Amino acid sequence: MKEYSENIHKTVDRIIARRGTSVTAVIPILQDIQQEFNHLPKEALDYTCQVTEISPARIEGVASFYSQFRRHKTGEHIISVCAGTACHVKGSGLVYDAIRREMKLDPNENTDADGIFTIEKVACLGCCTLAPVVRIDTVTYGHVMPENAGEILSDFLKRRKQPVKAGSNAAPSSAVKGEIRIGLGSCCIASGSQEVKTELEKTVAEAGIRVDVKQVGCVGICNQVPILEIVKPGENTAFYARIKPEEVKQVVLSHFRPEGSYRRFKSRVVGMFENMMADEEPRSVQKYMFEQRDSPLSAFLGPQVNIATENRGIVRPCDISEYRNAGGFEALKKCLETMSPQDVIDEIKASGLRGRGGAGFPTGRKWQLVHDQVSDEKYIICNGDEGDPGAFMDRMLLESYPYRIIEGMIIAAYATGSHNGLFYIRAEYPLAVQRISEAIQVCRDEGILGDSGPLAMDHRSQIPIRKSPISNHQPPIPDHRISFDIRIFEGAGAFVCGEETALIASIEGNRGIPRLRPPYPAIQGIYGKPTLINNTETFSLVSWIIRKGSAEFARIGTEGSKGTKVFALAGKVKRGGLIEVPMGISIKKIVEEIGGGIADDRQFKAVQIGGPSGGCIPAALADLPIDFEALTEAGGMMGSGGLVVLDDADCMVDIAHYFLSFTQNQSCGQCTFCRIGTRRMLELLEKIRSGEGVAEDLEKLQHLAKSTHTGSLCGLGKTAPNPVLSTLRYFRHEYEAHLKGCCPAGKCTPLISYSITEECIGCTKCAQRCPSDAIAFKPYEVHSIDREKCIKCDICRQVCPVEAVKVGSIER
Amino acid sequence: MRIRIDHKEVEAKEGMTIMQAAALLGISIPALCYHEGITHHASCMVCMVKDLDSGRMLPSCEYPALDGMNIQTHSHEIHEIRREALELLLSDHVGDCEAPCRRSCPAFMDIPEMNRLIAAGRFEEALKVVREEIALPLILGYICPAPCEKACHRASIDGALSICLLKRSTADEGARLFAGIPPIAGNGSDTIAADPGFPHNTGTLNTSGKKVAIIGTGPSGLSAAFYTLRSGHQAVLFDQHKEAGGMLRYHITEEKLPRKALEAEIRVISQMGAEFRLNTLITREFFDNVLLREYHAVIIASGREEQQITDDFGLELDEHGLKVSRTTLEAHHHRGIFACGNIIRKRQMAVRSVAQGKAAALSADHYLKTGKPGPAHQMFNSSFGRLLETEFGEYLKESPAAARLEPAKGFTGGFTEAEAIKEAARCMNCDCRKPVTCKLRIYADEYQAHQKRFAGNERKLISKSLQHEFVVYEAEKCIKCGICVEITKSEHELQGLTYIGRGFDVRINVPLGGSMEGALVRTGKKVIEACPTGALACKINHNEKRRDS
Repeated sequence: MKEYSENIHKTVDRIIARRGTSVTAVIPILQDIQQEFNHLPKEALDYTCQVTEISPARIEGVASFYSQFRRHKTGEHIISVCAGTACHVKGSGLVYDAIRREMKLDPNENTDADGIFTIEKVACLGCCTLAPVVRIDTVTYGHVMPENAGEILSDFLKRRKQPVKAGSNAAPSSAVKGEIRIGLGSCCIASGSQEVKTELEKTVAEAGIRVDVKQVGCVGICNQVPILEIVKPGENTAFYARIKPEEVKQVVLSHFRPEGSYRRFKSRVVGMFENMMADEEPRSVQKYMFEQRDSPLSAFLGPQVNIATENRGIVRPCDISEYRNAGGFEALKKCLETMSPQDVIDEIKASGLRGRGGAGFPTGRKWQLVHDQVSDEKYIICNGDEGDPGAFMDRMLLESYPYRIIEGMIIAAYATGSHNGLFYIRAEYPLAVQRISEAIQVCRDEGILGDSGPLAMDHRSQIPIRKSPISNHQPPIPDHRISFDIRIFEGAGAFVCGEETALIASIEGNRGIPRLRPPYPAIQGIYGKPTLINNTETFSLVSWIIRKGSAEFARIGTEGSKGTKVFALAGKVKRGGLIEVPMGISIKKIVEEIGGGIADDRQFKAVQIGGPSGGCIPAALADLPIDFEALTEAGGMMGSGGLVVLDDADCMVDIAHYFLSFTQNQSCGQCTFCRIGTRRMLELLEKIRSGEGVAEDLEKLQHLAKSTHTGSLCGLGKTAPNPVLSTLRYFRHEYEAHLKGCCPAGKCTPLISYSITEECIGCTKCAQRCPSDAIAFKPYEVHSIDREKCIKCDICRQVCPVEAVKVGSIER
Repeated sequence: MRIRIDHKEVEAKEGMTIMQAAALLGISIPALCYHEGITHHASCMVCMVKDLDSGRMLPSCEYPALDGMNIQTHSHEIHEIRREALELLLSDHVGDCEAPCRRSCPAFMDIPEMNRLIAAGRFEEALKVVREEIALPLILGYICPAPCEKACHRASIDGALSICLLKRSTADEGARLFAGIPPIAGNGSDTIAADPGFPHNTGTLNTSGKKVAIIGTGPSGLSAAFYTLRSGHQAVLFDQHKEAGGMLRYHITEEKLPRKALEAEIRVISQMGAEFRLNTLITREFFDNVLLREYHAVIIASGREEQQITDDFGLELDEHGLKVSRTTLEAHHHRGIFACGNIIRKRQMAVRSVAQGKAAALSADHYLKTGKPGPAHQMFNSSFGRLLETEFGEYLKESPAAARLEPAKGFTGGFTEAEAIKEAARCMNCDCRKPVTCKLRIYADEYQAHQKRFAGNERKLISKSLQHEFVVYEAEKCIKCGICVEITKSEHELQGLTYIGRGFDVRINVPLGGSMEGALVRTGKKVIEACPTGALACKINHNEKRRDS
C-alpha cells in the first residue's frame, strides 16, 4: 500500500513538473494522470491538491464534468462503440447490444468478468462513412454488423498477440518516376490504410521502384477508402478505391516498371489498360480515372469547390515546403507587406465570411471587435472542439491542412493585435493533435511562430515593424522578432465546450459551463482579455480570401452566405464523405449528385442538417439552398456541418429521440430548462417511441421544446429542441402513428415484431446466429420466431440469404 | 444610463443587473439562484423578464441593464415561463414540504411537530400545535379513523406512528386540556391557558362585536364554535337536543367515546365563551327572523338527521347535500350563510367534519372582516409519494429503530406519558425543515405551480446527510443553484462543496468523498441561510418559526 502511494506521488510529481501547479493546469494534469493509471485514482487527486493550487472542489468538479475522465479502473482494452448519427442510423445501437452480449455483461456492468474489455458509447469517432464503427484501443473496425461482434473481439485479441509492424519508409528519393498517394486521415486509417501503406512501402522497396510513396491528408472520398492514387507523368491519375493490402502489389506493378526481380512479371501487363481492369486487378478494387466522365468519382468531386480543402489529397499534411509550393503563406506575406490590420479586417468583411461554427456570426465584425479593444493581451483561439455526432470536418481540416489553419490564425493575430494563439482540440482526435503540434513545431523552427515569428508588433500602433523585405526565395517570414505563438489545449470530452464561453471556462481550468453573454469573449474572453474565437473551418478559409481577394470569395454563394461550406455527408447515400460545396447549392444536388442518391433503392426521406442543434428537412424541400437563413427558416441549421441523409427506413421519432438524448446527455446542467426540460422531453419521446404516448404528450413536448429554447442561456440549450420541433413540424404524422402503436419505418423496437415468411429455405443461418434461442434449428424447414424470446436484435434479418425475415407492426 | 421597466424610466448605474435596476423602481422579481454578495451565474430562470425590443427572455438576475433597454416584468407569457421553470425544478425536487401524515389529515394537523414536542416531553406545547388545526383533540383521539397513520412513511417499515393516540395524549390530562387555546385575535399576547382563572365571561372574548349563530353541536358545530371564538366573535350554538354533542353523543357508544372526554371538550368551548341554546328547534320563521336578522353570520352544522333545514329554509341542494362553495363553504347564493359537516356531505369522518367546522368559521371570520367569504388557502405542498425500501435507512437515521408501541392499558386506556414520549420519538420527521422560508415553495405557491405537470419517469433516491454537527443535507431537494458552492469557495473552506457530474445528474456534495463536517467548517450557518430550498437546513431547530409565521 505504501509502495502504491509512493508510486502515485512520484508520478504526480513528475506530471506537475511538466504541467505546473496553477489552477489552469488542472485538465492537462488530470489527462496525464489518467494516461498513467488508466483512471484517476483518488490518491492521485488528493495528492495533486496537496502539491498544487488546485482545490479539492475544483478537481472534483472538473474530473466529474468531462466524460474523458474515469474514476474507476477499466478493462485492459476499451471498446468504443460510436454513437454518432451516421452510426446510429446504420444500427450502432444493435451493435452495442451485440457486443455486450458477447462480453456477457450484466445490465449495470461495462467491464467483462476477466477485466479484458470495457465497453463504452462515444459521441462520434468521426468516421461516419464507415458506419457503424467500433474502435478497440487504436484499432478501428468499420461497417460492423451485430453478427460480427464476436469476430471483432477475437480479431482484436489475435492482433494483440502479433503486433503489426509499421513499415519502414524505404522509397528511394532520387529519380522519382511518380507518386503513389495514400490518404492517412483518421477514416482512412480506420479503414486499413496504414496496412495498405505498409504493404505499399514493402512492394516499392522490394521491387526497387523509384516512386514517392506519399501520405496525404483526408481525400474526402471517405466512402471509398482506403484509396490509392497513382500519379505518373504522362498518364492520367488513377484512383484505386477500397483497396486491400494483399492487392497492393498487383496494382503498383501495373503502373511501375520494377527495377529488380519483378521486372518480368511487370512487363506482362504494362500498357494493357482495359485488360487490367478485367483480369489483372483484384475484383474487389474499384478503379476510377479522374478525368473519366460520369465516373462516381467525378460526380462526387465535380460539384465541389475546394477552398478550405484546397489541394485536397495532394499535399503531405505536415510538409511545409509543399504547403509553400502550393501558395501557402502567400496570404500572410501579402498582409504583412501590403496591408494594415484594418485592411485585413476590411477584406474579411468584404468577403462576407461568416463563422462556420454554426451560428454564422460575421467574421470580419468579430475581428473588428477584438481589434478595437485596448488591452495588453489578446488571444486567438481556434475552436476545434467539434463534438457533433455525425460531423468530422474540423478533424479532417486539422489533420490534413494544419498550416492553412495556422496561417489563418496568424493573419487573425496580425489583424487583431494578438500574441497568443491556442488550438482547442478534442482529445478524441489524437491524430489531429499530433499533426497540429508537429506543424506548430515546424513553424517555430522556420521562424513563423514563436520567438522569431513574423509579427514583431509595436504594441501601441499595432503595426508590424518589418526589418527586411520578404522575398520568394526565403522562407516567407524572414527574421523578425517575436509576436505570435500557438499552443494546444486538448478538450476532455464535453460537447458544450464547443460553445465559446464554455470553451474559455475549460481552458481556465473550470467546469465547462457557458456563461451569459454579454460580455462577449471579443471584449472579455480568456482571463478577462479580448479573445477571438473562430471555428477551425473559418480559419482555414482566411488565407484563400486574402490571396485571391474578397471579391473572388464573395462571388461564390448566396446573398447572405458567401463562399463554401464543408459538410460531412453520411447516412443513407451511396457515396458519403467529406465535401466542400459552394453556398447556395441545393440539398438535392448534394444528395443526388455528390452522394449518388439513396443507397439500396430506398426512398429519400429527409436530411438531418446541423447535428443536434439542427433539424430534419424533408425530401419535399430538397430544393432548399445551403444558406444560413434559409436553413434556419426551414427548421434546420447550418450547424457545424453534419449532413446525414435519411431514407424511409428511418423513423423520425427515433431520430428526434437520438439527437435529444445526445444533447440531454451533454447538457452542462446549469439552466433549469436545459437540465430538466430536455430530460422530460426525452422521457416523453421514449414514451411515444414505445407506443405509450397520448395526444396530450405531443402538446407537452412542443410546449417544453419552445420554453427550453426560450429559457436556456447558451446555444446548446437554445437549439437542443430543434430536432424535436423540426420533426414535429414536418413529420407529425409519424408521431401520431406512434400514438396509435405503429412505427411506420419499423424502427422502434417496442412497436415491431419479426417473422419469417414461407420464402425461408431452411438454411438455419438465423437459428445458428440467434442470440436468444428464439428460432428453433430446423434444417430444410420453414423457420419461425418465438416472439416471447425474440430480443429484436435484427441479426436474423441480416443473415438471411433470401430476405425471408420480415419486420412488421406488433399486434396490439 | 436610462432604462425602461414596465413603462417606467429609471436611471441605472453601470454594472447593474436588470433586477437591481427594477428594484430601484420597487419592482421585485422572483429569483432562487441569486444571492447577494457572491459570484453569480443565472441558473434557475425564475427571474425571466422580457426585452421588448428583441423579444428575448432574459435572466434579470445576471443580465446587465443596458442603456435604452425596454423591459417588461409582468405578463402572461412571463408568468408562464417562470411557472414552468418552477414546475421543472419541482419535477426534480424530491421532498415533502409537509409530511404525508399531515397532508392526509383532513384537518391538516401538524403531526410531526406534535410528535417532536411530545418526544421532548413538552405536552402543553404539543397541544397548542394540535389546537391550531383541531378543536377536539381528545374526542378525535378516541374516534378518529386516522387516515394519517395510513399515510405515515413508517407504515411500510415497522408500523405507522400511533398518531391518533399521541394526539389524545396531548389533551388527556385534565389541567392540560385548556392549554393551547390561542391568543384571542387582536387581544394582545395573553393566552387563556396562561391564565389559571379561565375567563367565563363571553363579553371579554367577543372583541369584534360580531355574533355568529351555529346550528348544531356535533363535531363540525363545536369546531366552528371554537374557531369563531378564537377569531374574536361571539358564538351561539343551537341544538334541538337537550344535550350538546350531536352525533358524538347520540350515535357513538360510550365504549368508543367516553362521555367524560366529550364533556371535557364541550366544557372547553363553553368556557371559552360559547353560548349553548339547547332544546331549540330551528323553524323557518326563527331562521329568517332571528338568525338572519340578529346574527352577523350563520353556520349550519346540523348534520343529517336532526332536521331538514335545507328544505325548509329555501337553500339549494345538490347530490351530496346542501350546496356550498367548495372553497368558502358559503351556501349557494346566500351571503353570510355557511355550512359544514354531514349536511354538505353525508357520512363523513368526524375529523373531516371538524376540519370543515374550522374552515367554515375561518371563512365566516373573513366575511365578517371583509364582507367576502375567505377561501381557505392551502399552501403549495411538494410531495414525492411512496418511500422506497432502499430509502428506509435514510429516513431511519433520525429516529430509533423500534416497532410501533401498543399502550399497556390498551387503546381505550391510551398511552402513559412515558409511552407517548417513546412512541413520538419514532417519528421520522418527514416534514421539511424549511417550510416557511423555502423560496421554491413560496414561488411555487405564488405562481400556482403543479409539481406533477412535468413529472419524470422515475424519481431520484432520497438521501439525508446528518453527519455534520448542525447541518442536514438532503441532496434531492437541491435545485443546483450553486450558492453554497460559491460561499464555501469565497470563504476559503479547505474542502468546501462542489458540483459533481454534469447535466441532469449533476449534484452538489463534498469533493473527493470528504465529510460535511470537513466541508463546512465555518460556513455551516451561512449556507443554511442562503440555500433557497430545504436542501441545506439546520438539524437542531426543525420547526423553523412555523407557528410564528
